[in-house]
Amino acid sequence: QRFRFCGDLDCPDWVLAEISTLAKISSVKLKLICAQVLRDLLGETMEYEKILKLTSDAKLELGDVKATIAVLGFILSSAAKHNVDGESLSSELQQLGLPKEHAAGLCRSYEEKQSSLQDRLRACSLRLSRLGSVGWRVDYTLSSSELREVNEPLVHLNFHLRDGEQDRPVAIPMVLSADKFRVLLA
Amino acid sequence: MLLVLSEEQKAHLSCLPRVGDAGLAAGTGGRKAGQGRRGKLDVGVDTVQHGVEGLAYLLTESSKLMISEIDFQDSIHVLGFSDELNKLLLQLYLDNRKEIRSILGELTPKLPSYHSLEWRLDVQLASRSLRQQIKPAVTIKLHLNQNEDQTAQVLQTDPSTLLHLIQQLEQALGEMKTNHCRRIVRNMK
Repeated sequence: QRFRFCGDLDCPDWVLAEISTLAKISSVKLKLICAQVLRDLLGETMEYEKILKLTSDAKLELGDVKATIAVLGFILSSAAKHNVDGESLSSELQQLGLPKEHAAGLCRSYEEKQSSLQDRLRACSLRLSRLGSVGWRVDYTLSSSELREVNEPLVHLNFHLRDGEQDRPVAIPMVLSADKFRVLLA
Repeated sequence: MLLVLSEEQKAHLSCLPRVGDAGLAAGTGGRKAGQGRRGKLDVGVDTVQHGVEGLAYLLTESSKLMISEIDFQDSIHVLGFSDELNKLLLQLYLDNRKEIRSILGELTPKLPSYHSLEWRLDVQLASRSLRQQIKPAVTIKLHLNQNEDQTAQVLQTDPSTLLHLIQQLEQALGEMKTNHCRRIVRNMK
């Protein structure tokens, strides 16, 4: 069966298996755990001890807690990736066997943060290099060992790149004559 | 299969009876323990170190070759130790065999292994030379792990080459299902 939040593919087996673990936690606590997982997905620190406290009532083992965090992370990021709205996500999760209140709570947390999640995912997308800044300088050559009166302007450009393939700041300097620079601008 | 110990190793191990049963049991703890033993027994540091090295060699070789109890006992019989010491060595071997084998298993040389993959689908609409194009391209950043070193390779391809690549990889996986491979896998089990 195809699910929109899985990108119109089958739901992965491990997600299906963990839905029953999610149902063991009360829906109020599940919403709070969702909030923590959303913080982690948005790049802020997740408060793991809080999650441990919230899951202690349901008597989940450590492996189950980690599985819960993983499955919530998958559902929320996958739904944001495929631009699924809260209502469709809620009905699809109920089809998978998640109780109605749990699905409703999860989807309400998702809807609040959907656009910020999508912005964050857009920023994390693969980028090879970004232009940080350009520094320039114009010199005027008066004379040289070859010719006594040169009188030519010279443009120095320095491109500062960020996030190259090696994830390091890179500077690329270059020198252009006035004609070449005009060609570049044209 | 018998373990053959060189004369040097036999000499190293000959200090073990002097160290005594308690020392032997702690001997797997390494050189620090050896220094502790030296203080108590008035034996040279070198002797104890050789003893520890000899013991380590005995255990790793036995675990590597997975020799049976009888073979192990025959191998150490040549050292001329007391029966108690022989029994203790045997027990030490049997208890630690599995752990030693798993550690030895990790020592093989490794090629860079897959860590993660990022991809991006772009369409080139125009360039300086030609306007109004449609040229799709898939950019892939392959993150690799080699001995805790992270490297990244950036690759770019068009969708038809990517489909061809996927087809070749699926054919490679499909090889596992041929009779030839199935026969080998069955024999290995």
